[in-house]
Amino acid sequence: MTDTWRAVEQVMGLPISVAMRGRHAGSPTGVATWREVVAELQMVDRIFSAYRPDSWVSRHNAGELLGTPAVVAQVLALADRACRESDGAFDVRRDGVLDLDGVVKGWAVERASRLLRYLADTDFCLSGGGDMTCWTADPDGRPWQVGIEHPRGPQRLVARVPVRRGAVATSGTAYRGAHIVDARTGLPPTGVASVTVVGEDLTWVDIDATAAFAHGDRAAAWLRTRPGRSGLVVWDDGSVEAWQSDAA
Amino acid sequence: MKKIVLALASTVSVVVLLFGYHTSTSGPEAVGTPPAAVSGGTDSGSSAASTGGSAKASGSTSTVTGSVAQTQWGPVQVELTMDGSTIEGVSVVQYPNGNGRDQQINSYALPILIKETISAQSAQIDMVSGATVTSVGYQQSLQSALDQA
Repeated sequence: MTDTWRAVEQVMGLPISVAMRGRHAGSPTGVATWREVVAELQMVDRIFSAYRPDSWVSRHNAGELLGTPAVVAQVLALADRACRESDGAFDVRRDGVLDLDGVVKGWAVERASRLLRYLADTDFCLSGGGDMTCWTADPDGRPWQVGIEHPRGPQRLVARVPVRRGAVATSGTAYRGAHIVDARTGLPPTGVASVTVVGEDLTWVDIDATAAFAHGDRAAAWLRTRPGRSGLVVWDDGSVEAWQSDAA
Repeated sequence: MKKIVLALASTVSVVVLLFGYHTSTSGPEAVGTPPAAVSGGTDSGSSAASTGGSAKASGSTSTVTGSVAQTQWGPVQVELTMDGSTIEGVSVVQYPNGNGRDQQINSYALPILIKETISAQSAQIDMVSGATVTSVGYQQSLQSALDQA
């Protein structure tokens, strides 16, 4: 749409896309704030990336005895809670190796997006590799229209979600193959092609999408136990199930 | 929400709270106009609403029920638990639309299923959510097309 200003940067091995509408869409202040968002995500990457030998996570996994910075403690606490609440399907530790990618991305994007909320009269949608948090300055304003990719044909859409203020995350195997496994079995989940979760905060929406996917054919049943969310599950046979849980 | 309110000798000063009502969809750093509590009260039928609120007490603690504040999300009313002049707790006795918190959370739209899978352009899509797109996969993605639009 013509009134939408867009930018994209590669950070954390992901395309970080932003769309903005309103007063600061493309304004000097708006662009400067977008640069701050990118800088914050780059800082997070320097701490948590498993691909950087000098990151906290890499040095921890190499056996160095390190202190735990507050920001790391915060993410570890999130990871522990995610493991507990997913009945162990979601676990950031495997064979003694810590991999916080499954927690960090949503958390980092949600956190960085808060900078954009200071832009008066400005709507934004900030996406990290297809998981996004949206905001409209007017709570009743024009919603962002989020398309949900078809897991078997990423050039097609299976659904559309109008979002004013909230987050959307999708887990599946379309691009990366079977990179999600059920931590309890070590095996890729079966029966499910993709899971989309819509809710308040990208931190938990993203964790829940991953955890639900790991639950395989129990994905929808588990999601219904998570309050304050909606979304959809695309099953292996191509059928689509939309769901909504109870209010939080 | 029925509350029995005892009129009390007016030793408890009424607190008008600038109430930062955070709905599920409005984070703590919301930049929207902060909803200011309205003194003078808007009686919404609640027995507690009155000009300047009301109070009841037992022993040294007391509760102060604020007047109903009209916020951009609807009427909000809070109740303070006071120990002397110290605020010990705040609870919300009226959310917008009575049960507004639930409604806010449930307002997360269900995904609208698209019967015949279509392209992003014809669906008027702003952003695309899909299985995690890496920097490599991004080149072929719908989001990539949108970013270049």
